[in-house]
Amino acid sequence: MSTDYAIETDGLKKLYRARFRGREVMAVSNLSLRVPAGVKYGLLGPNGAGKTTFVKMLLSAVRPSAGSAWLYGQDARLPESRRPVGYLPENHRFPTYLTGHGMLNFYGALSGLPSRERRRRIPKLLDLVGLSSWGPVRIKKYSKGMLQRLGLAQAMMHDPRLLILDEPTDGVDPAGRREIRDILNRLTDNGVTIFINSHLLSEVESFCEYVAIMRKGELALEGKMSQLLAKTGYSVTSANLPDAVLRDIRGIGGAIASTLHGIAIQTDTRDHANLVIDKIRAAGGLIESLTPSGSTLEDLFLRATASEDDLPERPV
Amino acid sequence: MRKELTTSSFTVVMALVADTFQEARARWLFWGLFTLSTLLILIFLFALQVDLTAGAISLLGVQSTVRHIYSLQKFVNVSYSWVSIVLYVWGTFLAIFASAGLMPSVLEAGRISLLLSKPVGRTTLLLGRYFGNFLVVALNHIYLVGGVWLILGYKTKIWDYRFLLAIPVSIFIFAVLLCVVVFMGVISESAALSVMVPVALGLISALLAQYQVVIKLLDSEWSRQLWMLFYWIVPKVYDLGSALRQVILLDKQTDLATPVWTSSLFGLVVLISAIYIFRKRDF
Repeated sequence: MSTDYAIETDGLKKLYRARFRGREVMAVSNLSLRVPAGVKYGLLGPNGAGKTTFVKMLLSAVRPSAGSAWLYGQDARLPESRRPVGYLPENHRFPTYLTGHGMLNFYGALSGLPSRERRRRIPKLLDLVGLSSWGPVRIKKYSKGMLQRLGLAQAMMHDPRLLILDEPTDGVDPAGRREIRDILNRLTDNGVTIFINSHLLSEVESFCEYVAIMRKGELALEGKMSQLLAKTGYSVTSANLPDAVLRDIRGIGGAIASTLHGIAIQTDTRDHANLVIDKIRAAGGLIESLTPSGSTLEDLFLRATASEDDLPERPV
Repeated sequence: MRKELTTSSFTVVMALVADTFQEARARWLFWGLFTLSTLLILIFLFALQVDLTAGAISLLGVQSTVRHIYSLQKFVNVSYSWVSIVLYVWGTFLAIFASAGLMPSVLEAGRISLLLSKPVGRTTLLLGRYFGNFLVVALNHIYLVGGVWLILGYKTKIWDYRFLLAIPVSIFIFAVLLCVVVFMGVISESAALSVMVPVALGLISALLAQYQVVIKLLDSEWSRQLWMLFYWIVPKVYDLGSALRQVILLDKQTDLATPVWTSSLFGLVVLISAIYIFRKRDF
């Protein structure tokens, strides 16, 4: 397997069996994914899509029913493969009897960091996440946002090459979110791969270079964000258009909608946009605005998961 | 450039042991055990302050010097043997109660997934937790038995080193029962079950140890064999306590080897099973 990919899976599958009732649920089905090293990658999906199970399979917390996974070319089942990985779980439960300093020290030791290195890195990381004065305080005194920051510091403790973050800004205020984004951006500048599992579409859209959308345990959509969100047409806004002109515009395929600012006409191509403008001008109408239009991540997400409600749960 | 991290399993186990200590301290288990042990030591201290020894000898009506020395020695032996049993039972069961929650707590969702994301094998994780728990209790046993021994020795001027045998015997049987605590924690994540099963095994061992009487009462060969089978399987909590008392009281050679190796085997099988299940489980 190639080390060009931080994460690589081939036909990964997880089938949960109820212990006594014999009912089976496919949580992840035949998932093949490649996350190039050094990129910012977002994983999206509705609740129950299998995102967390997928992440847990990467970290060997859940054993795949079939298929394989590799982290930087190493079999993900081996503990050694997790050495370059930093992980921030969703709904984490850090030991509340530890101080922030003690927690970083403990997880740093488990990550293989020598004690001298831990002593050197802990104050720096606490400072980086804005918790420098909270190091000696027990975790049970921390707010949700502070726990999230501490969790991020924990994930970065051993200078990992891959950060897997499950809802990293959950509970963090807007200013804190920006700070976290800045920290993560600096990490990617140093070649760190960031894999984010999040419900916040706008966050993923503004931060990630790649995105994958899961639905019912399967990969519904995957690709480079810039390609997936490529501009797909133009929107022309006008006013005072006679009905005859509107009929003509409909005839050339423009979609018309009435808005606060006038009549909005959606066209697929640049040629159609020019044709619409010509017709409006010829009829004495005024052009209010002309803007390129395209899909948002939300549009993509909704399209990719559109049939969600129609599909029954997939018993096997 | 990132340095490759190559910390040994020993460092990881030490981190897990230290973490278990911290958790035991934060949950007041460490101090709880320490306080209850201190309480027991103080009770002994108080009992001896009221000159229990002299009082007991006086009650025996012993007058002559020779008889007095003989009786004092015997009295101290009897006291030591009973005290060792009290400490053995008290220490073992108290330790099980104290240890019951430590395994389920580490298996909480959100905590175990983070632990498993580290480059540490599951076996190391489980054994680190086991040894941490074991050390917390072992230190307490040393403090408890050692404290009582010092008080008895100081008061009676008889330093019976056989009494100190209660330390390894208590620690050993706890180590065996801790395997059951870990096993129950792994399969059920329930602190209550983690207490109930080892305590039940301790009580059952007392019942099974009466086989010499019971097998005479059983009328079929298969039921006698079944009784003996259970006797050999279940850890010999009662037999070890009984052997400990005999060694201290009578200073005679007692078969400690058989209960030790059969209980060790039981503990080993249970611990290996716990590790096997822990390695296979999804979290």
